Parts: sequence; structure tokens; C-alpha cells
Amino acid sequence: MVPPVQVSPLIKLGRYSALFLGVAYGATRYNYLKPRAEEERRIAAEEKKKQDELKRIARELAEGCLSGNMCFSSNLPAQDDSILK
Amino acid sequence: MSGAAVTYSKPRLATFWYYAKVELVPPTPAEIPRAIQSLKKIVNSAQTGSFKQLTVKEAVLNGLVATEVLMWFYVGEIIGKRGIIGYDV
Repeated sequence: MVPPVQVSPLIKLGRYSALFLGVAYGATRYNYLKPRAEEERRIAAEEKKKQDELKRIARELAEGCLSGNMCFSSNLPAQDDSILK
Repeated sequence: MSGAAVTYSKPRLATFWYYAKVELVPPTPAEIPRAIQSLKKIVNSAQTGSFKQLTVKEAVLNGLVATEVLMWFYVGEIIGKRGIIGYDV
């Protein structure tokens, strides 16, 4: 078998420093990203809930229209983006 | 099944350890001054311009070695973020 190569100490130092720096970078970035991702998930879940609520109301409105009643509903949540200011 | 895998891998593992014990060990504290000397030599060669006397083959080899050293950073990052692809947040 070929005898093992004697690696230069500079290369060894460089390799293990790079490894150590990489572990440090990966760990710090992970800890930085984790709370942000949780916050984003929480906000997305809230948005989804609001959208589901609106869809439910729209659906009920549609059913109300189909069964022949007057097509307005008084149980809409306060909309603050009306054009009839 | 696993018996065959063990029989296959044992000699290859032995070869791996034979080389790794010499080539992949971290630097001992005694080697660090020598490493710093080599670094000074490289900086010196950059300053005096003597790196232009390298052959292309030597330069390519140096480039490959430097790339391999830099790749260890990404291996470290994989270990630090505890996932191979992407951050599992």
C-alpha cells in the first residue's frame, strides 16, 4: 500500500479551523432563523384563520341568496376598506 | 445480510483508519508554529511576487488543496445546523 502522506501543518490547521468556524456559523444561523420561522408560521396561521372566517361568511351569504331570501347579511365583521366613505 | 456487510467493510475500514490516523488528525499544538511559518512564507511570496514563478501544475494543485480546505467549512455548517440540506426551522 502507498504510505500515508504527511500533511502540512498549515493545511491541517486550515481544515480544522474551517470545520470549527462552519459549526459555529451553522449553529448561530440556526438559532437566528428558528424564532423567525416560528413567528412567520404563527402569522400565517392567523391569516389562514381570518381567510377561513371570511370564506365561511361568503358561503353562508351565497346559501342565503340561493334559498330566495334577501341577499344581505348583518353578521359581517367590520370592514375598514369600504369605498363608501 | 449484515454479516456480509461487516465482512466486506472490515478490511476497507482498516485501510481507512490506516490512512486517517496520519492524514486526518488535527494539528498538535507543537505543529502550530510551523503552520504559522508556512503562512508567513505564502504571504511573503505574494508580497515579493515570487508566486509568479510557480508552474501552472503547481498552481492548480494549490488551488485544489485550497478548495478542499474551504469545503470543510460547509461540512462544519452541516454539523452545526444539524441537517444536510437547508435549515430545519
